[in-house]
This record gives sequence, C-alpha cells and structure tokens, in this order.
Amino acid sequence: MGASAASAHAAPERVRTRPPHGAAAAIGRRAFADGRVRTISFAALFAFIAYVNVSGYAHSFPTLQDRLTFVRSFGNDASVRLFYGQPYDLLHVGGYVAWRVGGTGALFAAAWGVLAAVRALRAEEDAGRWELLLAGAVRRRDAYLAALAGIGAGWLVLWAGLWLGCVGGGLTAGGSAYFALAALTPALVFAGIGALASQLAPSRRVALELGMVALAVLFVLRVVADTSTGAGWLRWATPLGWSEQLRAFAGPRPLVLLAPLAATAALLWAAGAIALRRDVGSGVLQAHDRRAPRTRLLSSPTAQALRGERGSLIGWLAGVGAFAFVIGVISTTFQTARLSESIRRELARFGANLLTPSGILGFYFLFFMLAISLFACAQVAAARREEAGQQLETLLSLPLGRRRWLAGRLAIALGGSVALAVLAALLAWAGARSQGAHVSLADMLGAGANCLPAALLFLGLSALALGAWPRATTGIAYGLVSVAFVWQLFGSALGAPSWLLGVSPFHHVGLVPAQHFKALAAAIMLALAAAALAAALALFARRDLTGE
Amino acid sequence: MDAIRAEGLTKRYGETRALEALDLRVAPGEVYGYLGPNGAGKTTTIRLLLGLHRPTAGRAALFGTDAWRDPVAAHRKVAYVAGEPFLWPSLTSAETFEFLARVRGSEDRAYRDLLIERFRVDPDKKVRALSKGNRQKVQLVAAFASRAELLILDEPTAGLDPLMEVAFRETVHEAKERGQTIFLSSHILSEVEAVCDRVGILRAGALVDEGTLQQLRHLSAHTVEVTFDGPVPPLPELAGVHAAEAGESALRLEVSGPLRPLLAALAELPVVALTSREPSLEEIFLHHYDAGDGRVGG
Repeated sequence: MGASAASAHAAPERVRTRPPHGAAAAIGRRAFADGRVRTISFAALFAFIAYVNVSGYAHSFPTLQDRLTFVRSFGNDASVRLFYGQPYDLLHVGGYVAWRVGGTGALFAAAWGVLAAVRALRAEEDAGRWELLLAGAVRRRDAYLAALAGIGAGWLVLWAGLWLGCVGGGLTAGGSAYFALAALTPALVFAGIGALASQLAPSRRVALELGMVALAVLFVLRVVADTSTGAGWLRWATPLGWSEQLRAFAGPRPLVLLAPLAATAALLWAAGAIALRRDVGSGVLQAHDRRAPRTRLLSSPTAQALRGERGSLIGWLAGVGAFAFVIGVISTTFQTARLSESIRRELARFGANLLTPSGILGFYFLFFMLAISLFACAQVAAARREEAGQQLETLLSLPLGRRRWLAGRLAIALGGSVALAVLAALLAWAGARSQGAHVSLADMLGAGANCLPAALLFLGLSALALGAWPRATTGIAYGLVSVAFVWQLFGSALGAPSWLLGVSPFHHVGLVPAQHFKALAAAIMLALAAAALAAALALFARRDLTGE
Repeated sequence: MDAIRAEGLTKRYGETRALEALDLRVAPGEVYGYLGPNGAGKTTTIRLLLGLHRPTAGRAALFGTDAWRDPVAAHRKVAYVAGEPFLWPSLTSAETFEFLARVRGSEDRAYRDLLIERFRVDPDKKVRALSKGNRQKVQLVAAFASRAELLILDEPTAGLDPLMEVAFRETVHEAKERGQTIFLSSHILSEVEAVCDRVGILRAGALVDEGTLQQLRHLSAHTVEVTFDGPVPPLPELAGVHAAEAGESALRLEVSGPLRPLLAALAELPVVALTSREPSLEEIFLHHYDAGDGRVGG
C-alpha cells in the first residue's frame, strides 16, 4: 500500500519535470528534420564535388610544369576568380581543392544558412506552430536556442559530407577537417543573418528576401575583392572573404576563425534579444497590410498569377541580366593566355575552347541554361503552392477549366524563360562589346535560344510531376535539374561511360556560340517537352485536387 | 430539374471509404442542411459535387450538368465557400472580390457593398493580416454577392462571432427569398434548425436520415417523462418504447411511433405527472451517433 502510494506520487512528479526539456528537444529535432532533405542533398553534393576534384587533380595536372602554367593562366583569370575566388596554392591538390570547391561551396553554404534559419525561426512562426509551442511549457529563450541547435546539427551534416568527400579522395583527415570548417563558416554567419532577418521581417518571404539580398551584396564584395587589383582588403568585409582568408591547405590561418565566430555570435545574440521581446507573429519592420485596391492584373487567373510572381520574375531578370553582363565583360580576358596541352584537355572536358570570348560565353551559357531550367521549376513549384494552399479549390469552383488554369501557369513559365534567355543574350553581348570583343548579336541570341530546349524539357517534366505526383512536385522538379547538371559537370571526371553521361539533357546541347547548335538534340528535347506538357495537362485534369 | 442530384456517389481514398453510394436531391429554392460530425464525409461530398475530386463510382450533377465531366458549365450557376478560408495572402479583400468576380464574369456590386457593410469587412486590408473569421467573411461576401443560383457552403460560420452569425442568417434568408438554393454543410445544429428546410444526416460516409425537420421529429423518438406516486411500477413490454433513465419514482421513456399504447398502459397506473416533448435536432442527431443502432422510425 505504502509502496504503491509512493509510486503514484512519483509518476506525476516525472511528468511535471519533463515537458520543458522534452519540448525544447522536440523543437530542435523539428528544426533539423524540416530541412533534412535540403541538408542531406547539400552534404551529398559537397561530398561528390570534393571527391571528384581531389581525385581529378593529379590526372589533370600530372607535372609541375602543367601546374605552373595553370597557375599563370587559368588560376589568375578574372572570369574564373569571379566564381571560385582567390587561389593561394594551385601547385598542390589541397590548395587546388580549397579553391575549386571552397569558393563555390562557401556560396552554397551561405545560401543554406539563410534558408535553414528562416525555415526554423520564421516559417514555423508564420504557420502558427511557434505560437502553439510557446503556449506550452517552453520558454522563448529555450525555444530559440533549441531551433539554433537544430540548425547546428544540420551544419554538422554538411561538414561531415565535405570532409568525407575530401578524405575519400585522398586528402589528409586533419587538413580536410580544417578545410571543411573554413568552407562552411559562411553557413554559420549566414544562419545568423537569416536569424536576424527572421526577427526584423514581418513574414517568411520578406525574411528570405532580406537574407538573399545580404548574400548578394556580400558576394559582390568578394567578387570585387578577388577580381580588382588593390581591392584585396575588401575580403575582410565579407564572410565569403573570411572563408578564403582561412587559407585551407595553403598556410592556414586559424586565428581568422575569430571573425566568423564573433559575427555569428553577435548576429545570433541580436536576433535572440529581439526574439525575446517582440510579439509573436510580428516583426521589427512593419508589414504594409492596408492599401487602396490595385485592380491591374486581376482579370484572369493567369494575370493574377503573373501579379503574384512579378517580384520573383524581376529578381530572376535582374540576377541573370547582371551575371550575363559581367560574363560578357570578362569574356575577353582569356585571349592572350598560353596553355599547355594537358590544360587544354582539362578545359576541353567542359566541351568548349575556353581561349576565346566565344568559348567563355559558350561555357557560361551552360549556367544560364541551368538558371532558366531552375526558373521553370520554380514556376511549377509556385503553381503547386497555389494548389497545396487550397486557393486553387476556390478558383476551380468558378467557371474555370483546369487545363486553362495550368496552361496559363505554364505560359508564364515559358514567357519568363524566353525573356531570361533573350536578356542574357543581349547583356552578355553588350558586356563583350564594351570590351571590344568580336561577338555578333545574332550569335549571342543563338546562345540564348539554345538554352530553351533543355529548360522547356525540365518545365515539361516538372509539370508532369505536378500532374502525376502532386505532393512530390517541387522535390522532383529541382532534383532532376540539379542532378542532371552536376552529373554533366562532374560525371566525366569519374570516368563514366558516355551512354551514362548521356542521360543528362545538358550533355546533348552544343555550347553556342563556341560550338554548333545541335538541331537534332534540340528537336528531340522540344518534342519530349511537348509530350510531357500534354501529358501533364491531361493528368492534371483527371486527378483529385490535392492539399498539403 | 434538381439543383443538386447525386446518384450512387462513392469515393474511396485508397482503403478509406469516404463516401458510400450517396443519393441526394436538392430542389431549386431549397435550403438544405447537411449535418455530420468531423470526418463523416461532408467536405468529400462537396468536392465531388463540384467536380474537384473524381468520384470512384456514381455521378453528381448541378442543374443537370455533370460536375466532373463538364465543371466549367456546371459552375456557372454555383458559388462555393470553402471550409478552410485560404485566399491569396497578398491581395486585399477588395482585390479578392474584384478578382473572383472577374473570373466568374458577374457580380451584384451594390449587394456586395451592402454585404461588406453588414459583415464589417475591411476592404483595404490584406488577406494575410486577417484572422480566420475575417477571411471567412471575405469568402461569404464574395459568394453571396455573386447572386449564384446555387450556394454551396462548407461550414460557413466556423470562426464567426455571434453577431456575424446573425448577419449570416439574415443573408441566407434574403437568398432564400430570392429563390436561391443553398446547400449548407454544418455541425452547428441551431444554425441548421434556424435556416434549413430540409436536413440530411451523414454518418461514416452514408446518409442515415433525411427529411424536413417536421418529418425528422415525427419519425424520431418522443421523450416522455412520467412521475409516479411511489416507486416505479412494472410496465408491460410495448413495441417502440424503451426506458432511457429510471429514478426512484420517475421514468424517462423514448417512444418511437404512436403514443397511444403507452398512454393506455399508463392510465392504469398511479401517475402524478406526465410530460411529453418533441426531440430537438440535437437529440435526433445525437441519437444517430450515440446509440449506434442505426435508423429510427425511418
């Protein structure tokens, strides 16, 4: 009797003491789990690219002479440094990898940081779940710290992926550990920026925009620092520069770590201080929630969708346009370079003769092809969001056909893709001409048009996913494009047979203007795209509308 | 021609049977209450009626037009208020009205302004800043202002405060006077009792009872409470009569069918008080769900 009474007392005791701790742990797990697909994809990408570059180095540059030539030409070229950053030691595999993988990796890591922080700290709140948690037995401070712990766990996964790729390729464990840390410090700082943006912005979308604008500005600072003479000091002004200054595999300077760590701590402290004080569901910046009606672009679902996507479209046009102009300007810098035979082989692997402006432009238009494909996917993802959010249910209860709605959405994707291709062509041409390069406008428009068959194929496949597997649409769309592109860039370095390389649509395009336009491949891609779009419309018209 | 007609309408989602061979007819000008607890299949029925989901078997027609085969034609005379008020967050209420009216192609602008006033909608506020109840009001104003011949409303008063509920009932009465048909899915019984001509009760995907309130009351059990002078005496077994609750000297009986045999039996006994009343809709409803013994009287 006495014993059972004691245990009856003990049981509620346990229940009382557990919730705060358990709830915080649950928030942390949630923050990690929400982004796990993205985190694991990024980690796998890092591992793959690191592995390919480590194992490919000795093959590409067998002799010291090869490496020296590479340093003098390719490694010092502005157009290359734009992406990869400042190289410090290209004579050894570690330094080469730190440059080739670290430079772009830092950019991806930064984007990951913003996305992860906004997802954990703002999207949850917008969805109303944060309120639910704080109404329970969790203090704000614990909830905030738990969400940060979830992001931290994701960062460790990224770090492990990059480290494994390096070590797997044959780099030392210790050096790889430091390099992975250096390359991924931007993820920490930008998680801090994302956390602060989440507190300042009144909504998830605005928080993401703030974070991405910060990323763009800090990237431009790094580009200026790495490509302009005398501007090297600017590297200290951006987390992407700190990542370079850590100089993995090239005379490491671990003390530089203080900069990203201090910045991250300051940002997270500031974000935390605001998070503890502000009202749930609001931001420091006021949302403009009232305005007189604006009735333009409301005449049809397609017009209204265009209205909704206007901001995103302008962002894509500005980004692609600016990038195209810069590529045009720097396309001339390669003309005087003298390269050895093995480096020509390395460059030829990209599929173009990179020694001429046309070659550079042809190569970089592969990236525009990627960008336009991603834009097309983003448009299908936006269509899916309208369905998942059940706005579509309201629309389709009106006298409006399903095919018409989807066709309108796809038309926006198509029109936007064409606009991006034309703009990229025009501005790349203008950039090249500003430096006196002999590139014809017709050639550049050809390069732009050459981006479209692949982009439309991905549009068709994404739409097909929307028709057949609505809940998986976004993942399938972005997944197909990313895998196909990474496979095209790095698959050959793994020695994959050509039929296996050929599964990527990017493998079949000519790098216009450096190469000929491959009409047959383009025709096949367009035919497949048309078939996929037709199937998508048919399937979409015959299935249940599907919520989240 | 029926405003709504469903024949053998069936929907399965994988293994789950959401709706089983539903037959439903709603005449033009009728206000039909569609009752059932959460998960009974109300929203599924509406999605099938509108052709948003595809029937596994059977067919649904709005004013004679099959909603799955030709949704555009079927929707010309229909306005729909979704159960969850998800609208476009970046549009203001006024922009939402404008957008929906333009896609529909018609709207009674004067009536819309009256409804904006009545439901106290702030037309310049963005949808994303509205509470659930306020978003619901935006949907209601848009639907009623369309003056569509058939209004399909899925739990339209969820999230509305009592004042707005009064406004809603007033608006339903106006629509009824104009001859509009209303299909009102709900689990708020007082609301259905107040506005509906005919009621259908849905349980686990099947219609278990249907009729006017009068018919439902008539066919359902009456409640008879009897107080005796002294302890409750034994009663003879009577068809359609069973004791719901027994006290020291009082008895509550549920009687389905005629009262006469019971009254005859009671006449022999020392009764000091007797009350009899018709069941409320709530009792009818609960009867179908509590007892689990299926149909009553029908």
